[in-house]
Amino acid sequence: MKQSSTIYASLAAAMAIIAAPQAKSLPTPSQRFGHEANGYVASFRKHVIPLLGVRGCNGRECHGSFSGRGGFQLSLFGYEFDKDHEEIVRDEDEIRVNRDQPENSLILMKPTMQEKHKGELRFKKNSWEYRLLLSWILDGAKNDSKLTPEFERLEIVPPSLRFTESGQSQRLQAIVHWKDGSIEDITELTRFRSNDESIATVNEIGVTTATGRGDTHIIAFYDNGIQPVPVYLPVSDKLGDAYPEVHATSEVDQLILAKLRTLGIVPSEKCTDDEFLRRVSLDLTGSLPLPDEIRSFVASKSSVKRSKKIDELLKRPAYAAWWTTKLCDYTGNNAQNLNDPVFRNDMARQWYEWIYHRVKTNVPYDQIAEGLIMATSRQKGESFQHFATGMSHYYKKENPVPFHTRESMPFYWSRRNVRKPEEKALSFAHAFLGVRIQCAQCHKHPFDQWTQQDFKKFQAFFAPIQYKANTPKGEKGSVMNYQSLMKEIEQFVGYDKKKKNNKKQLREEIRKRANAGKPVPWQELHIVNTKPRSKGGKNNKKQNYSRRVITPSVLGGEDIHLTEYDDPRQPLMDWLRSGDNPYFAPAFVNRVWHNYFGRGIVDPVDDMNLANPPSNKSLLDHLAKGFTQSGYNMQWLHRTILNSDAYQRSWRPNDTNRHDERNFSRMTIRRLPAEVVADAITQATASKSRVDAMTATSKDRTIGPDTLSKNNKKNTSSLNYALSVFGKPDRTANCDCERSNEPTLLQAIFTRNDPAMNLLLDGKNRKSKGWIQEINEWYSGKTKSTAQGAKSSQHKVLVGQRKKLMAKAPQKPANKQNARALQRYRISTKSYSQALKELNQKIRNLNGGQPKQPANTRRPITERELDRLINETFLRTLSRFPTETELAKARVDVGGSIDKIAGVKDLLWALLNTKEFLANH
Amino acid sequence: MKHKLCCDGILRRDFLKAGALVGTGLGLSDYLSLAKAGSVAGKAKAAIYVRLAGGPSHMDTFDMKPDASDTHRGEFKEISTNVPGIRISEHLPKLARCADKYAILRGVSHTLAAHRLGAEYLMTGNRPLPSLKYPTYGAVISKELGGPRDIPRSVAIPKGAVAPTGFLGLEYGPLETGATPKAGQPMNIRGLSLSNGLTLADIDRRDSLVKRYDTAFGSFAKEDKVLSGMDEFSQKAYEMMRSGRTRKAFDLTREPAAISGLFDDGNFSQSCLLSTRLVEAGVRLVSIQFGGWDTHRDNFNRLKDSNLPNLDDGLAGLFRALDSKGLLNSTAVFVTGEFGRTPKINQRGGRDHYPRAMFCLLAGGGMQGGQVIGASDAKGEGPRDRVISPDDVAATFYHALGVDHTKEYHTPTGRPVMIVRHGKLIPELV
Repeated sequence: MKQSSTIYASLAAAMAIIAAPQAKSLPTPSQRFGHEANGYVASFRKHVIPLLGVRGCNGRECHGSFSGRGGFQLSLFGYEFDKDHEEIVRDEDEIRVNRDQPENSLILMKPTMQEKHKGELRFKKNSWEYRLLLSWILDGAKNDSKLTPEFERLEIVPPSLRFTESGQSQRLQAIVHWKDGSIEDITELTRFRSNDESIATVNEIGVTTATGRGDTHIIAFYDNGIQPVPVYLPVSDKLGDAYPEVHATSEVDQLILAKLRTLGIVPSEKCTDDEFLRRVSLDLTGSLPLPDEIRSFVASKSSVKRSKKIDELLKRPAYAAWWTTKLCDYTGNNAQNLNDPVFRNDMARQWYEWIYHRVKTNVPYDQIAEGLIMATSRQKGESFQHFATGMSHYYKKENPVPFHTRESMPFYWSRRNVRKPEEKALSFAHAFLGVRIQCAQCHKHPFDQWTQQDFKKFQAFFAPIQYKANTPKGEKGSVMNYQSLMKEIEQFVGYDKKKKNNKKQLREEIRKRANAGKPVPWQELHIVNTKPRSKGGKNNKKQNYSRRVITPSVLGGEDIHLTEYDDPRQPLMDWLRSGDNPYFAPAFVNRVWHNYFGRGIVDPVDDMNLANPPSNKSLLDHLAKGFTQSGYNMQWLHRTILNSDAYQRSWRPNDTNRHDERNFSRMTIRRLPAEVVADAITQATASKSRVDAMTATSKDRTIGPDTLSKNNKKNTSSLNYALSVFGKPDRTANCDCERSNEPTLLQAIFTRNDPAMNLLLDGKNRKSKGWIQEINEWYSGKTKSTAQGAKSSQHKVLVGQRKKLMAKAPQKPANKQNARALQRYRISTKSYSQALKELNQKIRNLNGGQPKQPANTRRPITERELDRLINETFLRTLSRFPTETELAKARVDVGGSIDKIAGVKDLLWALLNTKEFLANH
Repeated sequence: MKHKLCCDGILRRDFLKAGALVGTGLGLSDYLSLAKAGSVAGKAKAAIYVRLAGGPSHMDTFDMKPDASDTHRGEFKEISTNVPGIRISEHLPKLARCADKYAILRGVSHTLAAHRLGAEYLMTGNRPLPSLKYPTYGAVISKELGGPRDIPRSVAIPKGAVAPTGFLGLEYGPLETGATPKAGQPMNIRGLSLSNGLTLADIDRRDSLVKRYDTAFGSFAKEDKVLSGMDEFSQKAYEMMRSGRTRKAFDLTREPAAISGLFDDGNFSQSCLLSTRLVEAGVRLVSIQFGGWDTHRDNFNRLKDSNLPNLDDGLAGLFRALDSKGLLNSTAVFVTGEFGRTPKINQRGGRDHYPRAMFCLLAGGGMQGGQVIGASDAKGEGPRDRVISPDDVAATFYHALGVDHTKEYHTPTGRPVMIVRHGKLIPELV
C-alpha cells in the first residue's frame, strides 16, 4: 500500500493536480486489483460490468450497439446483468471465458490485442484491468448481481469544484455506498462526462480541468448512480467583498444572486419602462402593447406601475388565450390526432375552450391536470342514452351547453398516437412530469436511473385506459347502446358497411342529430377492468389484477397495488400531488420560467434527469415549493417571476455577464414564438378599431382555438404559412422542441415580401382595414372627422326628411268645382311650402350656404402630423418612441417621399423587418 | 493512453459550444456535419421526389396481374414497353416508350395502412415513432448537399409534408410554392416574386432602409447567437430576392419550346416541367405532390380518365426533359405513394389501402433504368420472395445522392439517430 501511495503522490505532483482535501483514503481499484498478491476477487456487478463500461466495451458503437459486434452483444449502458453474464459465459467452447486456461479467455485476449480486435487496444496485458477480469474468471466467472446489496448512492469527493484559474486540475474521487453499509472507492470504474467542455473537461480517472470561465457540471456514472458535480471558474475577480452591492427584491432574486456572487458575475441593470411593457405584454399575453397604453405607462409616475401592469395583464383575454395555447402544446391538442372524422375539429376546439375557461378563472394547475388525467366520459351508473344526449348538448344549434361546464376533458386520452399503453406513458411523462423516459423503453436510460423494468412498471398504469365504443355488460339488448344507435342511423341513411356508400350522408345525419341535441354514437373514455384469472380466487379481491404480470409503480416509487383503487389513474394523480413528487411542480415551474427567460432552470425544458441538473437547484426548489404551497396557483407563479429583478433586467451586457446564458444575469434575446409574430404583425398593421377588438377578445387571434384546423388550408395568404415557417408546433411528438424559435431563411423571406405580409401592410380589405389604408383615407379627405361626420349624418337625416315630406306633397283636387277640397288644398299647400322652406334653410345652413355638400378636401401632412405618424409607426412596432437620431432619419425618409403615406408604409415595413421587432428583448 | 469514450459520441452540450463558432461563419449544422463527415460517392447532385398522395394501385399501374381472377385483375390490360420483358398498364403509353429511363420496384412492403403514417414512412425512410420526428429527404439533402446562396435548397410544389424537417430543425424546411404552375406563365413564388410592381431598385432601397433602423443592438448583434442568425438569414434572403436566379428558375416562359413541348398543360405536367428548371438552377430537392390516388371507389374510371394520363404525361415528360438537358445522370428521381391498393376489388368498384405490396420508381442519379427489381406474388398480395422495405428504397435513394444513410445525427436531446437505420442498399441500383 505504501509503495502505491508514494507512486500516486508523485504522479499527482507531476501533473500538478490539486488533490481534493477531503479525499478519503480508500484503496482504488487499480491498487486493489493491480497486484495479484492482494488477493482481491472482482465482483461481476460491482467491477466487471463497470469495467466494460469505462473501457467502452458496451458502448453504442461497439458491443452495446443494437446488433452487437462480432457476434458479441452487451446491454447498452450495462444494466442487464443476467443477459450480459449469459452472453459472456455461454459460448459452448467456453472461449470467451476459458475456465481451464483463463488467460486464453477471449475476453482477455481481444482487448489486449493478443488476438485481432477491431475495437483495438482497450487495456494492456497484466494491467490492473486485466488482473481484475482474470481474478473474476479464476473465481468461477460468477454472476453475483442477485447477491450484491442494493445500490444506495454514489458519493463524489469533493461534491463540487471551484477553480481560480483556467488550466487548473483537480481529481474527483468516486465512492459507492451499498445498502449493506459497505463503501468502496471505484473512481477508475466510474464514467465521467462534462456537460460543457468549453468550461471544464474530465478524463477517465476523474481528473477535471478548467478550460473556460463560467459554470457547468461533471456527471459521474456508476452502476445505477448518476451524480452531478458542479464546477465553477469565476468570470471576474469581483468576489467576496469586491462584489458590488446589489439589491435583491425577492427570495427568487436572493437565490439567483447567491449563484452570481460565486461566479463574480454582476447582473445588468433594470430595463427601461418601454422595454418592460413590451416584454411583459408579449411574454404574459402574447400581444404587443397598444400605442396609447405605452404612452400612459411611460408617463406614469407611480412607483408600483410595473406590478400593477402585471395584475392588469392577467385580466386580459389574451393572457388566458396564450397560456391555453401553451397548455395545449404540452398536452398535445391537435385535431388531426382525434379519432372522430365528424367532430374532430370541434373536439379540438372544446379541448381549448375547456382549458381556456379555467385559465381565465385561475383554476389551480393541478385541478386542470386532473381534469385531463382523471377524465371520464360517462358518469357512474349513467346510461348510454343519457350520456350520449349530454354530449350532443354541446353541439345544439340553439342554446348549446358550453363545453367548459363539463367537469372533465376526456380527449387527452383519445388521441390516435396514444393508443398503446407505452405511448400513453410517454405522453404522460412528457406532459406532466417534464421527463423523457423513451430511452428506457429499450435499455437503461443513459441519463437517469430508469431501467427497462422501471419503464414497464410505469407503463402498467396505462394499460386499462381505453377510448372507444363502450358497451358494458347489461347494456346489450333492448337498451340503447353504441352499436344499436349506430345501426339505427346507418339504416336511416341507407349506409351499407360493405359498400361504404352514403358515407357523407351518414356523417351529415350524425351531425344533424347532434345539432338537435339528440344522442349520437359517441366513443367513450373508460377503464377496462381485467377479471380474476384463477377460479379459486374468485372471492379474493387480491386476485383482481393478477392478470397483469407487472405490478405498476410510479417512477422512483414503490409498487402500487391497484386493487385498492377503483380507477388505476388515481394513484398516479395522488403521486403527482404528493409533497415529495420531484417532477410535477418543478416541470410546470420550469416551463413557465422558460417562457419568460428563453431558457429553463433545467434545460432542455422537458428533459429533467439526473445528468441534466438545474443551473440553480435552490431556485427551482424554492419556486416549486412555493407553487405547490400556493395551491398550484398559476397567477401566483406569474406574479412571482415577473415581479422579480431578474425578469426586469436589461439585455445590455456588461463585462462580467457577456457570456452568461444560464444564470439569468441579464435578459437573453429570444425570437418571438410563431403565433406571437403572426399576431404582432397583424396588430402593428391593423386599423385602430381592429386592434382594439383584438385586445378586447381573443377571437381574432392565432392563439385562439382554430389555428390547426384544416379549414384555412386553401387560402394561401392566410397566416397558416407564416405559422409553420415560424415554427408553430404540430403537437404530435412528445417534445417541447417541436416549437422552434430559431431564425431561418424562409422567415426572412416572409417578412420581406410574402403576399400575406403585403396584404396586411396594404390593409385594403374592406372588412379588416389596415392602418395604412386608414390613414390614407383620412389624409385624402375620404374619411370625415368626427365633427364632419356628425355634420354629414345630420345632412343625411335632413335630406331624408325632405324626401319624405315631398312624397306627401298635397295634390291639387281633380274636380276644380269642389270648393271645400280646393280650400283644403290651399291650406295644406301653405303649410307644406312652409315646412319645405324651413327644411331647405336648415340644409343650406349645414352646408355653409351651399346647396350641396363640398367635395373631399385633402388634409395636409404638416411637420407636426409627420412626427405624429412617425411616432405612431414606432409605437406600433417597436413599442417605443423613436430616438432623436431615428426621428431625424425618418423625417428625411418619409418627409422626403412624394407620397408621404407610401413613405410611412415603407417605414412600417422596415421596422417590421428589424431584429428589434422580431425579438423579445 | 487516451481511450475514446464512445457511448455518447457528440453530446447535446456541444450545441452550446457551437455558439462560439458563430464568428467563424459556420452555422451549427455545418459544425455538426463537419464533425462527422460521411463520404459516399454519389452521382446525383439533385433530387426530385414525386408523391402520389392517396396511395396508387399497384395492380393497375406498374405491377399488372393479367392472369389473376376476375375479382382481382381489374379492367386494364398490359402493354409492352421499349424494354423487352417489362410490361405496364395500357394507360401509361408514354412511360412505356421510355421504360429504359427508370427502374420499377415491385413488392415493396410495409404495414402502415394509414395515409399520414404511410406517407411519413415513405418520405423519411424510417418507420414513424411516437417520440421522434424523422426528417424527410428534403431536409436531409438540404443539410448534406448545401447549395448556392441565392436559391432555396428545397422546394415543395405546391406544399410540403407536415413537419418536414423533423428533429433537424426548421432551417431545412422547403419553400412551399403554394400553387401549381400554369403553362406559359411565370410563377409567383411567395416572397421571391416581384409582384405589385416591385422592382429590383425597390428591393435594394428597402434593404438599405431596414439596415438604417435595425441598429438597436449595436455590436452585440454579432456576439449573440439569435441576433447573428437573424442577420445571416436576412442577408441571404436579400441576395436571393435580388439575384433573380430563383425568379428566373420559376419562370416557365423561359423554357425553350423543345422542352416545354414535351409536357401538356395539366397541373402535374407543369409541375414536372418546373422541377426540371429548378434542379437546373441549383435546387437540391424538389418534391411534387400529386394527389387523387385514394380510389376507394370508381377506381378504374378515375385512373383511366384522369390520374393515369396526367401521370403518364408528366412523368414521361420529366424523364425525357431531364435526359434532353443532360441532367438525368445527376438527378435522382423517386416516385412513390404511401401504399398500394387491395388486390381484391371492393364493392364500389374501387380498391382500398394495402401497404403489403406497392410499387416505387427510381430513376436517374446513376441508377440503372429499364429494369424491374423485386416482385409481388401471383395475386399481388405481398412480396413473392424478396422483401423490399421503404427503408431500403430510401437508403438507395440517398446513396445515389452521395449521402451515407448510416450517418448519425443527434436530436436536440442528444439521442443519436441514423439517417436510415434499417435500410439496405438495393444492389441492382448502386
